[in-house]
Amino acid sequence: MIATVARQQLVSLRRQRIFVALVGILLFMTAMAGVIGWMSRETIVRVYDEAVRLLASNGQAAPPNPFELKPTLSMLSNMSIYIPLIGALLAIVLGHLSLADDESTGIGRMIFSRQIARTSYVAGKILSSAIVLALAMAASMAVSLVALLLVNRGLPTGGEFVQLGGFYALSWLYLMLFALIGMAAVLVTRRRSLALLAAMGFWLILTFAVPQFTSGLRPTTSLNPITDPVSTSQPFFTATAKARPFSISEQYKEASGAILGTAPSESGTETTKRVLPLAVSVAGMAAATTALVKRHDYSKGTSDE
Amino acid sequence: MNDLLERPTPSDEPETDRVRRFDRASRSRIATLARHEYRAAVRSRVLLALIAILGLATVASVYIASVDYASQLADYNAYKDAAIAGGVQQVAPSPLALLALLRGAMEYLEIIGAVIAITLGYLSITRERGNRTLPLIRSRPVTAGELATGNALGAVGLIATLVTITAAVAVLCLGFIGHDWPNGTQILKLLLAYGAAVVYMTVFYFLGAVATARAKTPANGLMIALGVWLIVVLVLPQIGDTLDADNQVPGGLFASLGLVRADETTILAHFAGYETARTAIEAASFSKHFERFAFAMTDVKAKYVDFSLSQLLDVKRIELEWLAFYAVALTEGFRRAIRRQPTIPQETTS
Repeated sequence: MIATVARQQLVSLRRQRIFVALVGILLFMTAMAGVIGWMSRETIVRVYDEAVRLLASNGQAAPPNPFELKPTLSMLSNMSIYIPLIGALLAIVLGHLSLADDESTGIGRMIFSRQIARTSYVAGKILSSAIVLALAMAASMAVSLVALLLVNRGLPTGGEFVQLGGFYALSWLYLMLFALIGMAAVLVTRRRSLALLAAMGFWLILTFAVPQFTSGLRPTTSLNPITDPVSTSQPFFTATAKARPFSISEQYKEASGAILGTAPSESGTETTKRVLPLAVSVAGMAAATTALVKRHDYSKGTSDE
Repeated sequence: MNDLLERPTPSDEPETDRVRRFDRASRSRIATLARHEYRAAVRSRVLLALIAILGLATVASVYIASVDYASQLADYNAYKDAAIAGGVQQVAPSPLALLALLRGAMEYLEIIGAVIAITLGYLSITRERGNRTLPLIRSRPVTAGELATGNALGAVGLIATLVTITAAVAVLCLGFIGHDWPNGTQILKLLLAYGAAVVYMTVFYFLGAVATARAKTPANGLMIALGVWLIVVLVLPQIGDTLDADNQVPGGLFASLGLVRADETTILAHFAGYETARTAIEAASFSKHFERFAFAMTDVKAKYVDFSLSQLLDVKRIELEWLAFYAVALTEGFRRAIRRQPTIPQETTS
């Protein structure tokens, strides 16, 4: 039964133009991340050459090229920003559509007139979201590999391939959280728009407000893969910094940097510690969504608005 | 809503009087519709929740910046007192920029404020559709233009209220936590920055309303508007920022190479084409124009700190022109969307 629900959901999503468009935007931005990485790298190298010439004309020695120390995968560092922005919105819409359509069209009411366990129903829905996001991440990884192949004129090494796989696996887990938030929001509200906006509100808090509270990161600072360190010596942060491990978007960005090698290296245990709160949040949200579906009154339905 | 129920009656009065009376009646109907829009909007719990997020984020951001500022200001005042006591005649003015503490608050208006405005626009259309009040209103002597103007004025009123509250909270934080109050010129600059914020949010209100009005399923219209918001507010500025050569290395590329501002300008002169393309990407984002104007008014950019207000307005006129362009274009889009709204109740489909 789980497989049937998941299959039906996958067919339904394929017909949703908005959803297909969002997946298209994500893939386009993945390609753009490669283009942007390549362009900025080329420009920096040329800026460095110009700087060396200028310093030499002033009789000064040039410092080492800051870009030479950067790993190959740093070209894709923008992906650690696009996933929490575009990917998370895609995941919210995915989770929203998975349950909202059944609610507003009355399919949910019809399904539960049959002998179907609600656990199987919600498991099928979560499975379909997991498959869709896994496919989107696989496609995104394929685009990233093509970008690396074109820029470096050679296939990534085995290690880089594993790093890239690790990054997209982490991104999949991160997006699952937002898909589940999108689903849960449908179950606790009576209108589709309220559900969408409530999920968006959560996303705004997790992406922009929480990092400001825990690390003093301004909203637009969160949009740049390279951030300057912020002073957090104020008493305010001594209290809020304790919640930093639970600042999911910050931990995702840090863990992504560690996996791709674009941030200062850290041990595997450190990276695992960063991922753990995310994994626990996903498990918690899955349990909460299941509990909400179990007690949800499908006879009422949801307004289309 | 009584004003909407008064039908004009033919009479023998002169043409000019009739036109004048009609204008007065029209203004009255617009005011009634605006009041209706304002009152209905503040009843939305989702909107109130989003406003609460904006308020909380603003307070947190200004609080964090103000605490840091207060200690720096205390250090400066201690230095100034010691210098004067030591017989120093001229003490260097404080390098601290009070209004720059509002940077986070402005960024929240740019990001969350735009979502709130889209929500307002969306709710405005769905409310009329859901309650089926549009056919009733349009059955009265209310033109589509009056309806659009009334709705827009109500929304502008609400947005202005919201921005005023945000601004008041921010200024109080500056005074009570930062221990420094803005002077007259700074207040004027703040008024201009927050005025631009009202225009900025109004454009997003129109975007939300137009996308919803044109969509068969309102929630899909909301998704489209949020998709546009994502690209305009977050993605385009992010691309422009990332392509900035100086942003490629923590602390700045030019600083890491030991280059000063003049050297940076000399080197960037070799990359005129690249810089033009990068600036064009940023300029394609409507929110970047608001950000540039607001940051200049709030002394976020150090290069504008010594500019007089008239100089600032002169330098940033282009940003105001872009804001005005988008405002006019979206207002026209909104007017057309309202005109095309079906006056007979429609069944929505998924």
